[in-house]
Amino acid sequence: MTLWFIRGIRRGVVTTRYPAKPDTSARYLPTPPAFRPRQLTGQVADRLVAACPSSALRREDGVLIYDVGACTACGRCAAEAPHAVTASGAFELATTDRSVLIKRIPLRGEAR
Amino acid sequence: MTAEELRETIARQFGRSLHIRTLDTGSCAVCEQEIRLLAAPHYDLHRLGFFFTPAPRHADLLLVTGPMIRAFEVAVRKTYAAMPGPKVVVATGACALGGVYPEDPFTHGTVGAVLPVDVWIPGCPPSPLALLHGLGVAVGKLAERVRDLSFTAPDYTERAGGDS
Repeated sequence: MTLWFIRGIRRGVVTTRYPAKPDTSARYLPTPPAFRPRQLTGQVADRLVAACPSSALRREDGVLIYDVGACTACGRCAAEAPHAVTASGAFELATTDRSVLIKRIPLRGEAR
Repeated sequence: MTAEELRETIARQFGRSLHIRTLDTGSCAVCEQEIRLLAAPHYDLHRLGFFFTPAPRHADLLLVTGPMIRAFEVAVRKTYAAMPGPKVVVATGACALGGVYPEDPFTHGTVGAVLPVDVWIPGCPPSPLALLHGLGVAVGKLAERVRDLSFTAPDYTERAGGDS
């Protein structure tokens, strides 16, 4: 506290940077899923879409549309198909453009 | 004033002192719990120059949670009108981003239906770290990262190939 005070007065900077040091609690956070495209057949994708409670997943021709903004990181897709879905570990997801949050995951064996 | 000019103005004028008004438009209060944790010593939002204020007249940033229920729309519009410009609207949580509740006679389903949203923070709830990152993005201090994320994982090696 005293050191911080003296340093602050000397530099004239009162605020610190973000993050001052890596946060250890970050790895325990539930994070949105990441998909393995090689394991993601159309059948598996349909099961994932049916399992998603917040309509974050949608199926289109040859792609799985994943809306990161709608995802609640509940983990039900990972429970439905553990071989195809894993945790992404990403949590700093803020953006100024809503459309950036909508991701297209290619399916296996189908043209994009 | 375009969003880019607004962000520059915000960064210049509020780089060290930005006052936040939180607005609950029907959220389940878990987003509020996480926002409240920002002021706790571990995250210490004040070191970065952000402060909470109870009055929209004193606020520069509107932190909106919840799916924007229609009963609260008048209050939301009044709050936004009462804030002096330039102002930033941050939509917080999956409800506010249009994920959990569909549009129906009771709710708009997304904050974007009523307010011009500048920054979107996903998460259910967004952790305090995610909120700090979102506030950093709102004042133009931190870079967006989600644009480059593909949300695909590398495939299995032989070791894990058998189980499913």
